[in-house]
Formats: sequence, structure tokens, C-alpha cells
Amino acid sequence: MTTSSNEQRPLPKGTEIRGRWNGKQYRLERLLGLGSNGHVYLASSGIGYRSACAVKLGFETSELQGEANILASLDSSEKGRVPFLLDVDDAVIDGKNIPYYVMRYIPGSPIQAYLRQHGPQWLGVVGFRLLERLAQLHEAGWAFGDIKSDNVLVGEYGRVELVDYGGASAIGRSVRQFTEIYDRGYWFAGSRIADPAYDHFSVAMLWLHALEGKRLVQLTRTLLPQNRHPRELMKLVRSNARLAPLESWMEKALNGKFENTKEASEEWRSVFRSSQRLKAPEDRVPRWMAGLLGGAILLSVSATAVWLLQ
Amino acid sequence: MMKQILLITDGGSNVGDSPVIAAAQAYAEGITVNVAGVIDEGTIGEYGAAEIAEIARAGGGISRIVTSRQLSRTVQMMTRQTVAGTIRNAVNQELRELFGVNDVGALPPPKRAEIVKVMEEMEETMSLSVALLIDASASMKPKLLAVEEAVRDLTLSIQARTGRSQVSVFHFPGDTQHDYCVKDAGWTSDASKIGSLFGRIRMKGTTPTGPALLQVVDFIRATCGKISKTELTETPIQGTRGESNGVRSDYVV
Repeated sequence: MTTSSNEQRPLPKGTEIRGRWNGKQYRLERLLGLGSNGHVYLASSGIGYRSACAVKLGFETSELQGEANILASLDSSEKGRVPFLLDVDDAVIDGKNIPYYVMRYIPGSPIQAYLRQHGPQWLGVVGFRLLERLAQLHEAGWAFGDIKSDNVLVGEYGRVELVDYGGASAIGRSVRQFTEIYDRGYWFAGSRIADPAYDHFSVAMLWLHALEGKRLVQLTRTLLPQNRHPRELMKLVRSNARLAPLESWMEKALNGKFENTKEASEEWRSVFRSSQRLKAPEDRVPRWMAGLLGGAILLSVSATAVWLLQ
Repeated sequence: MMKQILLITDGGSNVGDSPVIAAAQAYAEGITVNVAGVIDEGTIGEYGAAEIAEIARAGGGISRIVTSRQLSRTVQMMTRQTVAGTIRNAVNQELRELFGVNDVGALPPPKRAEIVKVMEEMEETMSLSVALLIDASASMKPKLLAVEEAVRDLTLSIQARTGRSQVSVFHFPGDTQHDYCVKDAGWTSDASKIGSLFGRIRMKGTTPTGPALLQVVDFIRATCGKISKTELTETPIQGTRGESNGVRSDYVV
């Protein structure tokens, strides 16, 4: 092992690569993201380079293969959807073998950007979609692990897709990849063993980060490590007008109290339904109408009394 | 059983044997040495930085120079990378001897997928001991809170592994001239047991990195030999834990 750093310069737009083993060709169109172990590009392939896909070029063969294995495994445990993994191969660039794998391209914007752009009134739908997707994943025996804004993409009308499944972990194993402030271990709220509740915690942090980001970051700066605790996070929840209605949901997610992800998503749904109902004015009888009715009854009772006494 | 020493320091050693030779000795005994250099303000100095890199090279490990805010993340990542690297080296060597290929990358992707599955299984299940050796010389004082947090964080990550994993903590310099380092916590795998580690440390000026390293090597030799013996007798028990193995065997490419 050496102390070499993983920094590599991204490849220029239009670079064409050809697989050493399978012979498929791709043209790199745009850099989508820089990761710790590789770069992801939007690429085109097929006849006339007309179909879009995402190519991840990596620095370390076995690490990249490990991620491809997870995608393949997810494809086989979640039958009936479009596969994630399309190809695994090496490209020869400047005389060096560069391993890569090819995934389905998923358009969309990171969830925080989406909520900023379209307004937090989309939270209900987007959150429900995210929890439903996680429920499927958990059902198949996997925890996503590294839930954060960049990995939750929202497309048209709040349609949610997860990206970067390379960090997913089999339930019961250690979490392969996580981001500090979304991690329940960092907040003294549980272990780093992958389970559905690990993801519930990160989802709650995602909402906190999206709607109360400044104060959350401030909190991580000022709080002593030994005082990190879900109760500190709940203080932020209660003081935010958007998050306060979610108090009981957040409390459960941050403390690992949901039985399973179906329950988490059902409860999410009912929180938003009841808040929608409260706002509807026709659900309540106006006070003047009630007063009028009361007055009418009183009048008729006294009229009857007067008539009877006569 | 994988054995690692993680040295956390902020500068050059100034007392006793060369830490580079000490690290080389550790590596010769099958212990990988990683080094995290912590700087907050100013620079670590050319001499300090060069020494940090060289200790890690001699110890077969990785070195990183970071601020105290990045320390938890770095310590965790170095440990994980070292585990992966150790297994990768062992597997590549087998491949060279058995099939005459250089490394995993020389195999076609479907074969690669199979081997990587085995490698990841080993990464998760092999037992791992990490001894942390912390420089507590005067200049480290403002960073000790971050160090404590990094120790807790590492223990938490290690605890999540399927394989038996443990952490021990030492700081140096020791209290007397003959004690180059002091044990703060013996082998444990319980993050909640790592409380306030360095509450009563009296900060001193000297930095006997080399001698302290050798003392930790002695400790690992004395304690980990026994562990690997008991492990041999327990192997069949591990084999019956089919559940976690079953999850990985789902991998199909």
C-alpha cells in the first residue's frame, strides 16, 4: 500500500471510451459528480450515441467492482424494474486500464434544490415517495445508508429516485458509506449496523437539513461532541413552523421507533393529510351560525313555556 | 487477525529511537502503522510532515494530514482502507502465485466480481485490532477533544463489523522516564466504555514517538497472540452463523 492520493483530473467532454472486455463504446458528455473513489459522467452509447447512461470511472478496481456487485445484486433481488447496472468493463486511457461501470441515467435535481425551487409544500409528496422507495429496498434486504440531498433526486411532479447505490449495505452488516451529520452514530442515536431505522434517521436529518439547514450546521459547530443527542435535534424541529407539525414523526425517526418503513411512510402520509384537513374552513361550523341556532332554540323553548303556562 | 497501530500526532519526535525504524519493526511483526497528523493553525512544518509520511511508509500504512474537524472521518477512513488494502494485497499475491496474473484488474469482470465478493466478505468478517497511540505533548492539548471524539467514532464503526473487533488506547509521553507511553484503555469493542480518556493527563514537552510505538508493539504481541489462539477453537461456531453469510451469497452477477 502506498500513500498515493486519489485525486485524478476529470476527463474532457467528448472523450470516447471503449471497453476492453465487452467492446461497448461510450462518449462522455458531462461530469455529473466527483466521488471519493471515482467520477460519474453523463454519457451516450449505442448507435449514433443516442441513448443516455451514467458511467462511473474509478480509481481502484476492486472497490469499483464491489459497487457494481451491489447494483447487480439489487437488480436480482428487485425483479420487475429497469435494471440499474448495464455494463462493467475497463477503458484504456493513456495506456492505463481504468475500470468503470455503466448505470441507468437518472435525471432530476437534488431534493434540497427541488424544495427550494418548487416550495416546501411539495414536502408531503416527495417524502412519501422517498419512504415508499426505501420500503421496497428494505424489503429486499438492503439499507441505503448514505441518504443525503445529493443522493435523492427529484424529477417531475415530485418523483423520487435514489442514486449512488454503491454505498448500500446488506441489512445486518456495517454501513459501508455515510455522511457525518446524517449518521445516527454521530448523534449518539444508535449503531452503524445497517438496518431500516438507520435510513429513517437519515431521512429525518434530510428534512432538518433542508428546512432548518443554517441552524443545524450551527448546532454541529457549537455543540460539544458528548452533548450530541436526538433531543437537541428535536428542539430545532419544534421551533420550525414547517417541521413542528411533523414532531411525532421526527421523534420516532430520530429515536428508531418505527417498526418498519411501511409504518414510517403511512404515518408520514397521515400527518400531511390531517394538516391539509385542518386548513379547510368548511369543516367547522362558524360561531355566528351556532349562536343563531342556540338563540332560535332558546326563543322557541321560552315561547312554548309561556304558551304552556297560560 | 489484522493488527493496526494508528498514531495521532502533530509534529516531529524528539526523544529516543527513530519512529521510522520502530514502525518498520511493527510492520515486520505483522502490524500495519497508520499516521494521522493533526494541524489547526499554522503548518506542521516540513520536518514533521516528512516524518509522518515516512513512518506510515515504513509501517506499511497510510498517512494523512488533517485539521481536528476532519479527524474522525480520516481515522475511520484510514482504518477501513487499511483493512481493504491488507486483504487486497493478500488476494493479489495468491492470484500471482496461482494464476500468474498481476492483480484482480487483470481478470475479466465476471471473474473479478466473484473474487471481490470474497474479498468484501473477508473485510467484514475478519477480526481486527486497532491500537491508537496518541501524542499528548503540550502542543496537542487543544486538539484532545477532537481526538477523543475520533476514538469514540472509530470504536462505533468497528463495533458494527461482523468480525470480532477491538480498540485500545495509549498516550505518550508517559509519567516516568522508563514509561514511554501509558495505557488509557485496554482492548474493548464498546464505544460507550470510551468515556473521557484524557482527563488527568499532564501535558509534557517531549515526544518519544519511536519508543512509544515499540511499547505498543510489545502490548499487541503480549495480548493478541492469545486472542488468535482462542479464535482457532471458535472457528466452527462462526461457521454456523449462516444468516449473515446468506445475505452475501445472494450476490449474482
